[in-house]
Amino acid sequence: MEAISENIPLLLEGIGTTIALTILGYLFALIVGTALAVCRVSPIPPLRWAATLYVEIFRNIPVLSLLILIAFGLPDVGLTLPYFWCGVLGLTLSSAAFVCENVRSGINTVPVGHAEAARSIGLGFFGTLRFVVLPQAFRTMVQPLVNVFIGTVIGSALCSAIAVSEITWVTQSLNIQYAQAVVMFLVAGVVYLSMSLGGAFLGGAIERAVAPSGRASRASRTELNVQAGAQA
Amino acid sequence: MSAKTASATQVLFDTPGPRGRRRILLLSILSVLAIAAMLAAGLWQFASNGQLDPNKWVVYLRADYLAFLGTGLLGTLQVTAIAAVVAFPFGLLLALGRLSRLRPLSWISTVWIEFFRGIPMLLVVYGFLLALPAYGITFPRFWMLVFPMILVSSATTAEVFRAGIKAVDRGQHEAAAAIGLSPRDALFSVILPQAVRLVLPSLILALVTLLKDSTLGYVVSVNELQFQGKNMVSITRYLVQTYLVVSVIYIVINFLLTRVALALDARMKGRAAG
Amino acid sequence: MTRTTFRPRRRALVAAATALPLTALAACSSDTGEGPSLGGDDGEEGGGTSDGGADTSAYADVIASGPVADDDAVAASEWASAIKERGELIRGGTTANQVFSLIDPGTDEVIGFDAGITQLLARYILGEGGEDSVDYVDTTVDTRETMIENGTVDCVIATYSITPERLEVIDFAGPYYLSGTAIQVRTEDAEDIAGPQDLTGLNLVTQSNSTGIQAIEEHVTDPGDVQTLPDNESCVAALKQGRADAYVLDQGVLLGNSAADEEVSVVGEPFVDDPYGIGIPQDSEDALEFCNTFLQEIIDSGAWEALWTATIGGVMDGAAPEPPTPGDLPA
Repeated sequence: MEAISENIPLLLEGIGTTIALTILGYLFALIVGTALAVCRVSPIPPLRWAATLYVEIFRNIPVLSLLILIAFGLPDVGLTLPYFWCGVLGLTLSSAAFVCENVRSGINTVPVGHAEAARSIGLGFFGTLRFVVLPQAFRTMVQPLVNVFIGTVIGSALCSAIAVSEITWVTQSLNIQYAQAVVMFLVAGVVYLSMSLGGAFLGGAIERAVAPSGRASRASRTELNVQAGAQA
Repeated sequence: MSAKTASATQVLFDTPGPRGRRRILLLSILSVLAIAAMLAAGLWQFASNGQLDPNKWVVYLRADYLAFLGTGLLGTLQVTAIAAVVAFPFGLLLALGRLSRLRPLSWISTVWIEFFRGIPMLLVVYGFLLALPAYGITFPRFWMLVFPMILVSSATTAEVFRAGIKAVDRGQHEAAAAIGLSPRDALFSVILPQAVRLVLPSLILALVTLLKDSTLGYVVSVNELQFQGKNMVSITRYLVQTYLVVSVIYIVINFLLTRVALALDARMKGRAAG
Repeated sequence: MTRTTFRPRRRALVAAATALPLTALAACSSDTGEGPSLGGDDGEEGGGTSDGGADTSAYADVIASGPVADDDAVAASEWASAIKERGELIRGGTTANQVFSLIDPGTDEVIGFDAGITQLLARYILGEGGEDSVDYVDTTVDTRETMIENGTVDCVIATYSITPERLEVIDFAGPYYLSGTAIQVRTEDAEDIAGPQDLTGLNLVTQSNSTGIQAIEEHVTDPGDVQTLPDNESCVAALKQGRADAYVLDQGVLLGNSAADEEVSVVGEPFVDDPYGIGIPQDSEDALEFCNTFLQEIIDSGAWEALWTATIGGVMDGAAPEPPTPGDLPA
């Protein structure tokens, strides 16, 4: 137990880094992913193709491979970022592909008539998306986007392989020092579980708040939706 | 949806008129230019740092280089296959456990599933690598990678199976009961066969996840593709080239698997609609 | 920019000479570029270390000509006769260390300096051909003492540093090799850094789970950022890319890097001594004496030096060092 009490600041720093990695990576992924989804449904073919190519690359590359490429490959072509930002960049690039696909399949759940009605009252492409389609699609996207969040939490652990001092890294270094693997394992486990379960809880609350009849969506639909691909 | 039914993505904009077509053409040209500029900037970075030297790339066409990475790929496929063969049936059992009316069984399954879904596989790997040996429990390196993959994958596939079982129409239960099947017989001869078919595309995606997770062999020194790529870097020192080639191999395999899943999904949805 | 030139490297040549089928393949397709040969490194399982560097044919010769103990000597030792009766030596250690003990997954042959000591010991006890009767049990840093104490393994031969703490629970035969923690820097900085005293304020890198972390804590005052990465390749990349100014690790590994890459150099002498010993249980007193006699015999017969040349010599310049004196434990 002294392994914990003597290293509270270090552990807190690790937890803070894990949270920062996850939040920043997820936030940027939401922005980039939504922009990509807009590109994928836009009338401009090259943008559609580019966004599709992006999605196919970044949802299929293992996060660890991506992080190693960014951290140790990019410096060879003249771009050296601090390790932390390498981690954020890797998580953003990977999660954005999944955000994009989930937003796109969310858009698909909006009844066609709504988009047609929006156009008939004179709204253009962006107007239709912004005021009619996306707000409705958001409801069905909450659960999949929570899954992307959990994917980002889990992915953030891999940043320890590129020397980001997040909680996995901190607990494993302390483990070497104190040889108390089990305690350290538990500490890290609690951090991750509370983040992913917390995210799921928050997502459920948001979903209930935005759902018209106040009920959560059936889990079956999101679990069996293969459109977005498999996040690791 | 089948190809004929319109989805929202297809009606977001009008069929463009002459002016609209001109605008789309203009924007298309601009976006092509922008994308080309980004690609050119990337290539220029490679070239100006000497990373486009053909000598650093053509070697990946050589038989010995391919054989070297090939042993890694073989390891990756082997690890993935073994993990899937164990994890998928295990996942089904967990799903049945979670849906079971026996409270303790359902409770244990739920805790197991939520636990392994919520923590990173890397942590499980470290658990096998560092925590268990403290109690004298050790495994060969290969299993230090495969066991965590099984544990994590069993939890995620359990949720897939559960969703599949729940997605089978309620009427099927009633029909089974009507012809006199016990709930147990109904589950095994009516519900499960349909559920397994429903989840097939999702299981192929679970395979993609396993394949990605196998890269953690890099951490426990198991001979798989990412790890073999690392070994290649230590010999050739062509870091960015090797890791790019390795990443492309992963992307291609996962892309193909995802395509298969999507095709299966589309076929099943088509059949359900037709 | 510098264009990489392909220097014929001893390691690559050695490896190529020993892996005939692969070399033949490479020769057929030599028109596609002149990248370094991957040779016999095929399928290696190096856990964090860099260079193969083992000369397999010379290595096989060394093992095959190792000494065999008299039947009387074996009979006199309870520990050794138990092994002889079983017909197999159970060794705890790793098979994923490139210079010391590396398995070839294709043939399941384990080679390296520690592997050589193990096989020589098996041959010494079991007689001609005994070198093949070794059961390699994986141990980790955390489990080594336990597995010796509870008799799961006969001995541990695994870059196992002799320390006072460990001597409280187990015995060590040897030392059989004197290693040490050393410093690697970018070659252009080699003039400015000579030892741990010059590392103050510099960013350092070392491997996770290595003795480098402790060495830095104890010998470097106020280092800058200390990074730990899971493998040797990333550490070298971090050093070359300027993320770290010095790489602290076991000398054998660092020398392997310098041999493969002229952009990095090892500076100064090792600053923490790591004498490696054979870990054996305390309750069999005769084991210690038996193993020390064995070590003395392979040192006297020249097998030790030949083994060094075939393994560590592949990544280190110069002649084999003076062998340590078995039984001469650090105070």
